Amino acid sequence: MLFSKPPQTDEFEKAALPHLKELYRVAARLLGDTTRAEDVVQETYLQAWKSFDRFAPGTNCRAWLFKILINTIHHYRRKWLNPRLVADSEETLEQTAAPTPPIPEHITEEEILRALDRLPADYRTAVLLADVEEFSYKEIAGMLNVPIGTVMSRLSRGRKMLREQLSELARSYGIGRGGEEGRSA
Amino acid sequence: MNVIQFGDAACGKVRGYLDSYLGNELLVETNHEVLRHLESCPQCAAELNTRARVRTGLQAAVRGTPVPDGLEARVQRVVRAQSRRTRAGLYTMAVAAMVIIGLAIVSLTRAKPGPEEAILSKASGRLALVLNVGLRDHLHCAVFRKYDKAAVQLSPEIAELARLVKARLPGDFRIIQGHHCTAAGRQYVHLIVTRGDKLLSLLLTRKRSGESLSGGVYQEGVDRFQVMGFESHDYLVYVISDLDAQQNLQLATNIAPAVREYLAAHAG
Repeated sequence: MLFSKPPQTDEFEKAALPHLKELYRVAARLLGDTTRAEDVVQETYLQAWKSFDRFAPGTNCRAWLFKILINTIHHYRRKWLNPRLVADSEETLEQTAAPTPPIPEHITEEEILRALDRLPADYRTAVLLADVEEFSYKEIAGMLNVPIGTVMSRLSRGRKMLREQLSELARSYGIGRGGEEGRSA
Repeated sequence: MNVIQFGDAACGKVRGYLDSYLGNELLVETNHEVLRHLESCPQCAAELNTRARVRTGLQAAVRGTPVPDGLEARVQRVVRAQSRRTRAGLYTMAVAAMVIIGLAIVSLTRAKPGPEEAILSKASGRLALVLNVGLRDHLHCAVFRKYDKAAVQLSPEIAELARLVKARLPGDFRIIQGHHCTAAGRQYVHLIVTRGDKLLSLLLTRKRSGESLSGGVYQEGVDRFQVMGFESHDYLVYVISDLDAQQNLQLATNIAPAVREYLAAHAG
């Protein structure tokens, strides 16, 4: 390693920097702290640059960066934060067959983010990677280093919890109570 | 041949697939099955519509999060600095070896007068040399130096660091000094913090060749002091106090992001 060819900074920047905004936004949602999100993104890029010689050109740079980001966040949480315990078991894939209770027709972005922030960290991670960043289940499994079944389980529960949070909002608006007219935000 | 089912069982099965359908994660056959069911079941079509709406709303909300203006430039700066360091790696290692040998010779031959040296000599282990870099200035400048502990003195260039650190300190801690200082021929940025009779130093000093904490966070008890050290942006950073080990580490943990932010903006 001592004599390996140093990575090319220009090449790295060209491949990796276009994904900075997406990485930051996911980090901010996962950490709930924009200052820490900046630090984590910086650290992600530093780690990515150090291992850029192992990155195969033509493969998915975005997925590779997100994998490093997720690892960095785990490391960061262990080092600087009190890790939040997710008590739920992930062994069974929950059915999502139940129809979604009423959700307000117009939900503000702030309300959606508040509902998202209430999800346990593992579920939030899965939902962000699948539903916002649109990674495949297989890619997410690779990033999180868990089987695809676990990804599906987390997604299923995370999405269901998100819908439930938004339905709570509907109830607070009076939607779904004996046919009352709901408030549109 | 697929048999299309109707009724609760079919709806239950299809609803289980709806999120995967939206994410294009279904096999072609299952996708067709879902589509055919949706054509004939308004309840499931409405359910799909609700889930799609939540998904679209979530995407818009997250993607609307503003990204700090200077972040890309900051990341670029850090990567380029690391790039320069890597290229200078071999040269640095050679110099580092010479410096370590030199420091070892100096430490073996120097006299040890005074209480500072007596305390410093108690530190042991492979990290002692690097942790002592911070402990030396804490002893020299905060512990044995006589100054007015009631008066707050901050030099202007330290004010920003003090502001960042203060925001992360518990309310009963007070920053009473902030200055540049020199100990054993080495320059430090130094904040002195007190809580009652407890004294804490935050020290930043540029790393020299061969000095490394290997990217880790270390804490060691020396005499009555807890010395916590880590690296950031080519600097060695120390949090040293006469608090107990857990309190010192907790405070250091609180302060560290502020230091990193300060160094990200000022380390050059």
